[in-house]
Amino acid sequence: MDFDLENPLTSSIEIQSDSITGLFDSESDYMPSRSFLQCLEASAFYHSFRQDAISTLFHARSSRNYDHFVLYLAINYMDRFISRQEIPQEKPWVPQLLVIACLSLAAKMKNKHFLISDFQKEEGFIFDAQTISRMELVILDALNWRMRSITPFSFMSFFISLFEIKDPPLTQILKDRAAEIVFVANNEMKLLEFKPSIIVASALLVASHELFPLQFPSFKCSIFSYEHVNKDKLLQCFNAVQEMVGLEWYQDITSSSISPLSVLDRHCRKSKSETTNTTTFSSAELPQERAIKRRRIDGYN
Amino acid sequence: MEKYEKLEKIGEGTYGKVYKAKDKTTGTMVALKKTRLEMDEEGIPPTALREVSLLQLLSQSLYVVRLLTVEHVDASSDFSSTTSNKENIHSNTTTGSNNNNNNTKNKSNLYLVFEYLDTDLKKFIDSHRKGPNPGPLSPSLIQSFLFQLCKGVAHCHSHGVLHRDLKPQNLLLDKDKGILKIADLGLGRSFTVPLKSYTHEIVTLWYRAPEVLLGSTHYSTAVDIWSVGCIFAEMVRRQALFPGDSEFQQLLHIFRLLGTPTEQHWPGVTSLRDWHVYPQWEPQLLARAVPSLGPDGVDLLSKMLKYDPAERISAKAALDHPYFDTLDKSQY
Repeated sequence: MDFDLENPLTSSIEIQSDSITGLFDSESDYMPSRSFLQCLEASAFYHSFRQDAISTLFHARSSRNYDHFVLYLAINYMDRFISRQEIPQEKPWVPQLLVIACLSLAAKMKNKHFLISDFQKEEGFIFDAQTISRMELVILDALNWRMRSITPFSFMSFFISLFEIKDPPLTQILKDRAAEIVFVANNEMKLLEFKPSIIVASALLVASHELFPLQFPSFKCSIFSYEHVNKDKLLQCFNAVQEMVGLEWYQDITSSSISPLSVLDRHCRKSKSETTNTTTFSSAELPQERAIKRRRIDGYN
Repeated sequence: MEKYEKLEKIGEGTYGKVYKAKDKTTGTMVALKKTRLEMDEEGIPPTALREVSLLQLLSQSLYVVRLLTVEHVDASSDFSSTTSNKENIHSNTTTGSNNNNNNTKNKSNLYLVFEYLDTDLKKFIDSHRKGPNPGPLSPSLIQSFLFQLCKGVAHCHSHGVLHRDLKPQNLLLDKDKGILKIADLGLGRSFTVPLKSYTHEIVTLWYRAPEVLLGSTHYSTAVDIWSVGCIFAEMVRRQALFPGDSEFQQLLHIFRLLGTPTEQHWPGVTSLRDWHVYPQWEPQLLARAVPSLGPDGVDLLSKMLKYDPAERISAKAALDHPYFDTLDKSQY
């Protein structure tokens, strides 16, 4: 009964073709609502609420060593919660409580230890255990206990299987890079509208474009011809992800040190100041940066 | 829980009572399944979280009874915690003040709210045996119900979940639409304390697989297929195939029809925990137990009732069996 983001159905049985169809059918149930996305665009409050919450989560990650998946899940819960429940604007502690409770729930789903007292000492929060439990229940109620989120990772192995890569180490490199892109994409507001399957398909295509440019056309062909993929959406998302990654490269060479938080900050600034002045780089244009990228991939684990 | 008006107790699930209730706002009927939850200082138990969310995911199949919502109720106050929590979030008192009973174990209840269906396969078969117009179930209806049952079981199995207690009472029917749905999916035994009344309940053995009866500890999806086979035969016969009243009698019923199992047909059987020396019976012709069933049906049934769990057909493979060739599968 464990929960694995890459396989939300079970932890033991390999994904069967009929269950993958089920994933495509129900992935939208685990996304933030359209009205939430509009809210993010229209309201400065929600925009900064999400930024603050994600910053808190990244802090938590660096101080408590949570894995990426716990974080990803917590952000998913938070987005879906805000989609369903109004946040009182005059209560500055609400975002913090929400983040802690989402993190606690995500840690429980992933069977990771979450010690509230630890967390509070480090972060200086003053919520007691009971308050957090109550908030957990509020979140569970709002999400109707649908906590086995279908995320981009749920589709990763399936799409990779379409590529028919023979070499397991290459598969792993591709998977790692795509996962890295998916994590960054989660902070990109304008990518929130895309379904998890579209996000991961785009991330895989962008990753394969970087890593195996020769095979890219055939990968692209196999994903675009898959029946459950909306071609228009995939193309839109692919372009947006490529633009995001291009920006990431640009920042790679302009700044030597990079932290998730600084990536996040830059992305926020970018989404606020619109995208007209950013340029999309393609790998063909920037071979030296691809080399930098490669080095980073080697160090990424 | 004031949202629902409890009407009557309709059953005793493995983990607690089931009530028929009316949603006061919409007037729709629901089935409320109550389970007890032990909350400690870490809040909601991780096992409960993972299992209820799995149930939520499973109930997205058309052939599994839909879990509409989950309500958490503090046992001390009978108010839904959600109500009080909503108040909490809008008041300033929450921060740092609520610590009077922090370390006490908090007893609370979880109500799983399911869609309500007014009949089940047991009642349906009974009405064909002793109702005002008794008569066999039509072959096409049996075929359709069995197909839906296999679909539902395949869905659970593909999600890594065993039902463990499939029986006609647990298969709910929408008679008008001819739909069958699996109910009472077992939650893992880890998170709830079975209610007291549960021990007084008579647990039916009729659908229990021989490896379970013989004390095997490592059982698999095949236990559910055995139950499906027994239910298939019961729809055809309008009476149970193996109506044992004790575990021993249950085994004898099975052995009398299918022959006493041997190491040759079922490797490892004699080393199972509860294996004894049994009378030696030869296998009978299965077709005689289900005289109105055609050869394809008998073949499928025999594959569902294989002694060796490893040889028993899977739910997914059953869907492709020739028995269903005459069924219009496009409507499922």
